[in-house]
Amino acid sequence: MKLGSLWKPLIVLSAAATSGGALAADPQVDVRTNLGTIRLELYPSKAPKTVENFLQYVKSGHYNGTVFHRVIDGFMIQGGGFDASYRQKPTKAPIPNEAQGGVKGGLKNEPGTVAMARTADPNSATAQFFINVADNAFLNWGDPKSDGHGYAVFGKVVSGMDVVTKIAKTPTGPGAVAPRDVPRQPVIIESMSVVGGK
Amino acid sequence: MAGSLFVSDLHLSEDRPGANEAFFAFVEGPAASADSLYILGDLFEYWIGDDDLVTPFHGVIAGFLRRLSASGVGVHVMHGNRDFLLAQAFCEASGARLLDDPSVVRAGGVDTLLMHGDTLCTGDTDYQAWRRQARSEAWQREFLERSLEDRRGAILALREKSREVVRSKPADIMDAEPQAVEEAFRVHRVSRLVHGHTHRPAHHVVDVDGRRCERWVLPDWYGPGGYLEILEGSAPRLVRF
Repeated sequence: MKLGSLWKPLIVLSAAATSGGALAADPQVDVRTNLGTIRLELYPSKAPKTVENFLQYVKSGHYNGTVFHRVIDGFMIQGGGFDASYRQKPTKAPIPNEAQGGVKGGLKNEPGTVAMARTADPNSATAQFFINVADNAFLNWGDPKSDGHGYAVFGKVVSGMDVVTKIAKTPTGPGAVAPRDVPRQPVIIESMSVVGGK
Repeated sequence: MAGSLFVSDLHLSEDRPGANEAFFAFVEGPAASADSLYILGDLFEYWIGDDDLVTPFHGVIAGFLRRLSASGVGVHVMHGNRDFLLAQAFCEASGARLLDDPSVVRAGGVDTLLMHGDTLCTGDTDYQAWRRQARSEAWQREFLERSLEDRRGAILALREKSREVVRSKPADIMDAEPQAVEEAFRVHRVSRLVHGHTHRPAHHVVDVDGRRCERWVLPDWYGPGGYLEILEGSAPRLVRF
């Protein structure tokens, strides 16, 4: 690598990676956990790079064996970043935040929607995602209480909301990654796969 | 002392003996009687990879932390913008545990959000773009494949470039953005945040949705240095050397 390239802006995904064209149907993903299966439907027309990124992680098997490590009933359940030993898994480069397009397309942080987790840097989402179990308007782009950037919603639960509720209500406490909100019994994503996919 | 100490931005380097002496005195003094020491980024002026532990200076610093951790003090190290390549071999050499950024820990009976602080400076979009690149697995793999000498040269050139860039930027975009701070309190559901990076040590009180939240900013060690002390049952105290 040339020295100068360290300072060049990062091109996270090539234009070819986005999927703006007509799709036969919105893709669905089955999230099989030790508490049951959740089926997600994803919306590439509203959050193309986010859906592409998520599907790449699904297809590479990244999520298999990861856990929901942050579970707060009345807020959200977050996972996809740590294995069952609470070791952080390596990720690809972060993706641009598509929260604005999502909100304009009607995708908001409401019960049953799935969004990308990130740090305070609005464009830092990699693999971790969360499923809202409440109306978390302050996470929406454009909300007066948001940080001005919001959290990109890219899909929603189409079946297995009872499993999401069960996870949200699982007892939590101090754990390897935080002093609270870590499930006492690990909630493991045993596998994740595209419905009807190869 | 049943409590936790927090430091950041020590920027230890062979050519800064003053900071190094302050660090040795701190590790053998206040830190030795703490329960936990949290180093919230930029322990080192730069870190080009754990294979640079062969540099005697790095071995000495790791050795001081090793003695501290072996004596029973929990030593936690978070990546900063200068030493984000600290990894497993450094942890084994120092007995430290890598702490994710952000992390919530219990300190003085209060859930406390810990960050290096660079992600809060969301106004500095050039820096955030660089950060995203440098934290990606692909970039790091490529960088770490280069020789130590090559990497050292690259980092020294980057530091020079960074000084020029910093000089040309308005000060306000290099401080934490109030909106990012408020969001951190909301998303992590805490009322106390400790971070460094901005080199503007302070105790800020922030109102977030009617909740009184406090933000402690740690001092850098380019000057006199210092640390934040949180003891069980008492208010945090910013101690300057």
